[in-house]
Amino acid sequence: MAKPKVGFYWCASCGGCEETVVDLDEKVLDVVAAVDIVFWPCAMDFKYSDVEAMEDGEMTVCFINGAIRTTEQEEVAKLLRKKSTCVIAFGSCACMGGIPALANLTSRSEIMRRAYKDSPSVLHDENGPVPQTSSSAGGVELHLPELYETVYKLDDVIDVDFYLPGCPPTAALVETAVQTLLSGNLPPKKSVLLPDKALCVSCDRNSTKPDNLKIDKLKRIHEIKADPELCFLAQGVLCMGPATRDGCGYPCVKGNMPCTGCFGPVGGADQGARMAGALGGILEVGEKQLDDALSGMPDPAGSFYRYSMSSSLLGSSRKGDAK
Amino acid sequence: MEGARKKIGVFLCKCGTNIAGAVDMDALTAWVEKQPDVAWVRTNELLCAPTGKEFVKNTVESETCDSVIIAACSPKMHEKNFREVAGEKGFNIAQVNMVNIREQAAWVTPDKDQALEKAQSLIAAGLERAQYNVDLDKPEMECKTDAAIIGGGVAGIEAALMLANAGRKVTIFEKDISIGGSVIKTEEVAPAMECAPCLLAPRLAEIRDHKNITVVSNAEVTDVLGFFGNFTVKATRRARFVTAACIGCEACFEVCPVWVKSAFHLGMGDRKAVYTAFPGSVPAAAVIDKENCRHFTGEECSACKDACPFGAIDYEDNDEVIEVETGAVIVAAGGGDPDVSQLFDGVAGRENNVLAMPEFERLAASNGPTGGEIVCADGSVPKSLAVVHCAGSLSETGLSYCSGICCMTALKAGELFRKKIDGGKVFNIHDRLTLAGTEQQHFFDKQCEEGTVMLKTSDLSSVNIVMKEGRLQVTASGVSESVAVDMVVLSTGMAPSPSAERLVELTAADLDEYGFFRPGHPILQTTSTTIDGVYAAGSCKSPCDVPTAITRGQAAAGDVLSRLIPGKKLELESMTAWIDGELCAGCKMCIAVCPYKAISFDAEKGISIVNEAICRGCGTCAATCPGKAAQARHFTNQQIEAELKGVLNG
Amino acid sequence: MGEFKPEIVAYVCNWCSYAGADGAGGQKLAYPSSVKLIRVMCSGRVDPQFVMEAFRGGADGVMVLGCHPGDCHYRSGNMKAQRRFRIFEMLLRQMGIEKDRFLLDWVAAGEAKRFVELATEIHERVTALGPLSLTGSVERTVMADG
Repeated sequence: MAKPKVGFYWCASCGGCEETVVDLDEKVLDVVAAVDIVFWPCAMDFKYSDVEAMEDGEMTVCFINGAIRTTEQEEVAKLLRKKSTCVIAFGSCACMGGIPALANLTSRSEIMRRAYKDSPSVLHDENGPVPQTSSSAGGVELHLPELYETVYKLDDVIDVDFYLPGCPPTAALVETAVQTLLSGNLPPKKSVLLPDKALCVSCDRNSTKPDNLKIDKLKRIHEIKADPELCFLAQGVLCMGPATRDGCGYPCVKGNMPCTGCFGPVGGADQGARMAGALGGILEVGEKQLDDALSGMPDPAGSFYRYSMSSSLLGSSRKGDAK
Repeated sequence: MEGARKKIGVFLCKCGTNIAGAVDMDALTAWVEKQPDVAWVRTNELLCAPTGKEFVKNTVESETCDSVIIAACSPKMHEKNFREVAGEKGFNIAQVNMVNIREQAAWVTPDKDQALEKAQSLIAAGLERAQYNVDLDKPEMECKTDAAIIGGGVAGIEAALMLANAGRKVTIFEKDISIGGSVIKTEEVAPAMECAPCLLAPRLAEIRDHKNITVVSNAEVTDVLGFFGNFTVKATRRARFVTAACIGCEACFEVCPVWVKSAFHLGMGDRKAVYTAFPGSVPAAAVIDKENCRHFTGEECSACKDACPFGAIDYEDNDEVIEVETGAVIVAAGGGDPDVSQLFDGVAGRENNVLAMPEFERLAASNGPTGGEIVCADGSVPKSLAVVHCAGSLSETGLSYCSGICCMTALKAGELFRKKIDGGKVFNIHDRLTLAGTEQQHFFDKQCEEGTVMLKTSDLSSVNIVMKEGRLQVTASGVSESVAVDMVVLSTGMAPSPSAERLVELTAADLDEYGFFRPGHPILQTTSTTIDGVYAAGSCKSPCDVPTAITRGQAAAGDVLSRLIPGKKLELESMTAWIDGELCAGCKMCIAVCPYKAISFDAEKGISIVNEAICRGCGTCAATCPGKAAQARHFTNQQIEAELKGVLNG
Repeated sequence: MGEFKPEIVAYVCNWCSYAGADGAGGQKLAYPSSVKLIRVMCSGRVDPQFVMEAFRGGADGVMVLGCHPGDCHYRSGNMKAQRRFRIFEMLLRQMGIEKDRFLLDWVAAGEAKRFVELATEIHERVTALGPLSLTGSVERTVMADG
C-alpha cells in the first residue's frame, strides 16, 4: 500500500511554519515514516518541474503556508491545488494574511521606498535601483515575479479544504492535523481545525477576571509591571484573547505576555470589529477622557489585525490591484 | 438558511395621497411583484382605517404567506395594531413588520423618481430581513406581589400603608430600635407648621396594628438576592432582650441603675441601659443596651427583670436571621446629617450653644431631652438666636449642592424660638435664599414681619463665630450689624444616607456622584433605581421635604401595585437577548456592558447567562460579544445584515 | 459619466433618532434620498461589523445615530456605542478611509431639523469625496513616526 504523498510549500512566509513541523521533535520521524514527502523546497531540493510532472490530485494533502504577495506565489499555489486532493491553508498567513498582510495598511510604492531608499541601513539614493519585474544585465533578460499591491490569503486564489491558523500552529496541533487527515475521518470541508470558541475558555487567568470588568485606561505592556496571574484585560492591557480562537494552549499568556491574536477570529468574523466592540464595552470613561484612555493603544489596526488583515472587511484590498 | 425561502406577503398603503402622491404606486406595485420570494402584493387606500384593518385580516386569511410586510407609515404608528390584527389569524408578531415609506420616503423626497427608488430600497430591505424573522415567545413569569421596605421613616411608612391596605404583605426592615425616621425627631414641619409627631403617631399605630405589616427593627439587611418579582431579603435582627410582651410602661427604666448618653437625643440627654426611643414608639418594646447593661458586663443585676409586670425581659435572647420572599424592594433609607463639628474652628458644639440644626430640632421637640424647652448648655434661657444658613453646604469641603429645604427649616427655627421664648430675638445670616413653592415666600414674609432679622452677606465663607465675653459673636462680610447672641443654629443641608454605599452593594443599584440613589431614568423612571424591582423613596433619592418624601413612598407603592398583581404573571420582554452556551467562551466582556445588570457569570459552567426576566432587549451585549454568542432576538446579526443587503442592492 | 450618487446607510435607534427622522417626515423636511435608515432598538446594538459590512457592500458613507448622552432609553447603550466607535474611527483612519465617510452622532426625538442637517451634511461630504473605493483608497503611510 503506497504511502500518502504530502507536500509543503511556503509563499510569503517567515519559515516558522516549517519550523513547527520540526518542533514535533522525535514524532516527526513517525510522520516521515507514514508519508512520502514529495515536495518541500525549504527542507529538500525539489523543483517546480517535479510538481508539474505529477498527476492531478496525486498529492493526498498539501500544506501551504505563507500569504500570497507575488505572481509566483499565486502560480505555484494554483499548480499545487491542481496536483493535490486536499489543500490545507497552514498557518495564519495562508489563512488570513498573517503579518505580511499588515502591508495592506500601506502601499507597494511606500514599501519599496522604505526598503530601497529610506531604510536606515541603505545609503539614500533617490535614483538608486528598485526591483523591476524585468530588466536586462549583461545581455540577459531577467524576470522577477511581480509584487501585488495587496497581500492576499490563500483562499483568495485557490479553493482551500481546511484551515489551521497559528503563528505558527503549535506542534501538537500539527500532529493532530496530520493524524486526522491520515485517518480518513475528515471534518466538513472548509473547517478550521480548531475549537470555535475564544481563548478565554481555556485560559487559566479567566477566573481572575472580575465578573464586572471595567477599565478606565488602556496601557501598553511595557508601561506596567505585569501581574503573572491576573487577566491582562483586568490590568488594562490589550489582550486579544476574547476575539481569538482557542487551541494553542496559550503559551504567550503563560510567558506573561498578552495574546496577540494569531489564531484568528472566532466564527469567521472580522477580528477588529469584534475587539473594538469588546473593548468599547469594558472601557468605562466619560467622553472627555476617552481619547486619553485609548492612547495606550496607538495602533489598533496593527493590534487587532496583526495576523488577520487579509480576512478583515476593510483591510483586505489595496489600490491598483493587478487582480 | 439553506433550503426553502419564506414567502412574503406585501401590503402597500397609499395613505390617501400621502404616499400615493409622492410615489408612483403602480410602478412600485409592479416592481414588488417582480421581487423574489414575494407571495402576493395588495394595495390599499388606508390600511389603518377600520376598513383597512379588515382588509389586512381578510387578506392574510385568504392568501398564503409565511411572513407579512406592510409598506406604509412609521412602525411607531401602527406596527403594534397590525401585529394584533394579523395575530388574530395566527401570525406571530415577529412575522408582521412594517417598512416606513411615508415618513422616510414619501414625505421627505420631493423628486418622484428618487422617492420611488428609496421606497424600493426600503422594501427590498424588509423583504430580505423577513427571511430571517424568527417567531417570538411571549414569556411570562410567576411573581410574588409583596414588598420589603428598607427603612421605617416617613417614606417607608407611607409606602407600607399603601401596599398593606391594598392587601399586600409588607415587611419593614429598620436599623434603629423603632420606626419613625428623622421626622419623628422634629417638632413642627414648615411652612404649615404642622406637628410632626402628631401627624405620624396615628400612622405608626396603624402600622403596629396592621395585619399585613411586619416590622423588623433593630435589624440590618444582609442580603438582597434574586430579581424583580422574585426577591429574597435576609436581615439579622439583633437581640433585644425584651419580648413583645413589653408595652413600654417604663417600669424598668425607673429601676435601671445605668445612665447612657442618648443617641436619639444626639448626645444632649441621657437614657437608661434599658430604653425606648420615645414614649409611644413602634414597636413599643424596649431594648437592653448590652454594651452598658450591668447584667451583660459581668455584674449581678436583674433590676429590670424584677420590676417588669409582664415578664418581658429575656436575657437569653439571641440575634435572629429573618428571611423574606418578596416581589419588590423599596429602599427608604432617608438622608444623612453632614458633620459640621469642625466648622468655625471647632466652636460648633452643644457646650458652646452652637447647635447643628438636627440638634436644635431635638431641643425644641416635646419628646426631646428638655421636653421642648430651648435652653443653653448651662440651663439658662437664651434670649437671642442666630441662624447661619448653608452651614457646611455649597463648599468644596462640605456638600457641594443646595439641599433646597433648609432655608425653610432655618426660618422655622426662628419661629419656634420666638414661640417658646418671650421676646426672643432672631437673626438669620444668609447669602441667598431658596424659597421655591407657593407657600414658602409667604412663610418667609411672615417671619420677617414677626421680627426675624435677615442679614445678607456677600460671601458665605466669610461667616465666622467666636466666643467673646460669654456670648457668641457672629460676623460676616457685608453685614455691618453686630450680632452677639446666646445661641447659634447652623442650618445644615441634607447628606446622602450613611447606609447608601452598603445598600447599593446589596442591591446592585447605583449612586449618583453625590451619593444619592440614581433613578432608572432621570425623567421617565425616577421611582425605580437602576435595578428593576428595587425602588428608592424619600430623601435617599435626593434632599426633599416631608410631603415630597411621602409622595415618593406612595409612588413606589403605586408602581409595585401596578406591576405585581396577584393572580397575574409578570409579562416579560419578548425581544430579549440570549447567550448561546455552546458558543460562549466565558470571556465576560458582556457582563459589564449590560445597563440593567441582567447578565451574570455561571462559574460552574464557565459561561455568561442573560436573566431574561430583567433584560430589556437593547442588544448592547450582542454588539460587544467577541464570539458572537450573545444575540438580540428580532435584531440578530443575520436580520440586520439582511436588511443592509436589501438597502444596498434593492 | 453620470453624476455620482452616493449610497449612505444610517443605523438609527428606535427611541430618539428614529423618531427624529420620523419628525422630519412629519414636518415635510426634505433630505437627500441617498440616506437610507436601518432601525435598531439602541445605538448600543450597532456592531462595528455592521458598519464595515456597509462599506464593504457598497455604501459610500455610514451614520450611526443614537440618543443624547444621558437620554438613552436603555440608560447607557449610547455611551457604549460612543466608546467602541471611537476605536472604530481610529481603525478607519489607519485603513485610509476618509473621516467624513463615517459619523456617530446624537439626535433627540424632537430634533427633526438636526436629523435633516446631519443627513444633508454627510450626503454633501461623501458626494465631494466620491465613491468609496476599498481598492483605491487614499495612499498613506502608516506609522510614519516609527
